[in-house]
Amino acid sequence: MFGIAATRESQVTVEKQWAAFEAEAMPHATSLFRIALWLTRDQTEAEDLVQETLTEALASFHRFARGTNCRAWLVSIMYHRHSKRRKATTRLHLVSDAEERIAETIAFEAPTPQNVTDEEVLGALERLPPAFQEVVILADVEEMSYKEIAAAIDVPMGTVMSRISRGRRLLRSELASYARAHGFGQSGQQRLSRVSEESIREC
Amino acid sequence: MQCREFREIADSYLGNELIVETNHEVISHLEHCAECRRELAARRELRCQLREASIKAPGNQMSAEFGQRLSARLHEQAFGRSVTPLSRRGWHPSVTLRRTSWIALAACLTLAATFGLVALRQWILRPSPQQGGQEVANSETPNYPAQLNPGVPVTIVKTELAKDAAGDHRDCAVHFRLAEKPIDLEVAGRKYDPVYVNLTKAVVSGQGEVPLGAEFVEAHSCVFQGRRFAHIILRYHGRLVSFLVTEIGDSNAAKTNAALASKGAQVIECSQFDGYQVSCFQTARHAVFIVSDLPEGENLALARAVAPSVFAHITRSENPA
Repeated sequence: MFGIAATRESQVTVEKQWAAFEAEAMPHATSLFRIALWLTRDQTEAEDLVQETLTEALASFHRFARGTNCRAWLVSIMYHRHSKRRKATTRLHLVSDAEERIAETIAFEAPTPQNVTDEEVLGALERLPPAFQEVVILADVEEMSYKEIAAAIDVPMGTVMSRISRGRRLLRSELASYARAHGFGQSGQQRLSRVSEESIREC
Repeated sequence: MQCREFREIADSYLGNELIVETNHEVISHLEHCAECRRELAARRELRCQLREASIKAPGNQMSAEFGQRLSARLHEQAFGRSVTPLSRRGWHPSVTLRRTSWIALAACLTLAATFGLVALRQWILRPSPQQGGQEVANSETPNYPAQLNPGVPVTIVKTELAKDAAGDHRDCAVHFRLAEKPIDLEVAGRKYDPVYVNLTKAVVSGQGEVPLGAEFVEAHSCVFQGRRFAHIILRYHGRLVSFLVTEIGDSNAAKTNAALASKGAQVIECSQFDGYQVSCFQTARHAVFIVSDLPEGENLALARAVAPSVFAHITRSENPA
């Protein structure tokens, strides 16, 4: 009889745990998928990454501190999983002076263009170097704080702030170029050299 | 505040990332600068457009089918491992055992009636060949039993080392938040401890006989609370399991373990820290920990499975001659 009571107790615990996970973590699946898609650029790989992330999160959910930001916790797990997958399949790494080189190529702060289409905004985002793109997505699309981003991608907060600032500046420059080429937007905008992804060398 | 300064921090202002004093300066500047107000409005609009365009983009939508599959799989994982966690492997899960404990009780009564309570008691309490605090991994022990061997006592130990092992599992394998970045295990082997070299093979393949269903995740060397560990991580039925090896400096323990090593015996001790099961065995100069949040019996079973090959590997490295 004691055994039956213990079983019921265990069942109730599992049900409570699942209910909590379903309420706190599962609503972020869509957001995780979006981030995974940016990271992997492939639908199937993104699905795999989301599944791995949530599977790991479920296994560790009893250690998640309730009341803290669940999405930031999930994103940090996702970045860790993605980093492991990438390490296993490639030897690419970022060259340390890439950010400085990119910053130097922007001559001045262009006024933010208006009347650009959604497609052009997304196109400009896609053309950003990955290191800048990821922080802009996490900050402006997923609305994570600098602190949460720093924890998720495991870089110092100062670096996050610097990347976000430069990433946004590149994005505006890109859109300003587009607006000028199509004869709309604000006058006096100067065509700025877009930094291609080649500036981040792959070794 | 100058316009140039404002443009530098305008995005942080929109993201509410500035301290109160700087916010005041921004507001004060905006009050008398129409051009910066327009710039701020344009950036705010661009930010909204970026977010909405990204969220609504058809290519960024998660398919409903995948969502359902994912939910079903996670649900299965949540309930499968706790309610009927081991049925796929043909073991007798502890839950089932508890559920049918009344049958066991009835069986005991029947036996008692047949052989007599005294005889039955003597039979149950009969010391096993390995009793006395030592548990020897041998060929009769299945590679992967679900339950503890009846009659073999498990020594409960609480040591700082086991705590460190549990802490390393938590901070490294589960939360990835160690202060010092892990390094490659083979590199660490050449630099710090030759025992680490080829340790992964001893755990994962060769004679290690990792149980069916365990998947290799990573091998590295990491430092927790100033102590260096060889750290091999496996995933077993969705749970992370850490195999940790560290050098020990206790001379008494070294003597004891050297004596045990000469007999080819591995004493496996179990303890629990911070919600993690820790199974431990030692060689002359090293301690090996198996840490997970699996039930105690399963964690111990994993320790049993790898103990022979890991013990042999470490002993060979400790005594190269």
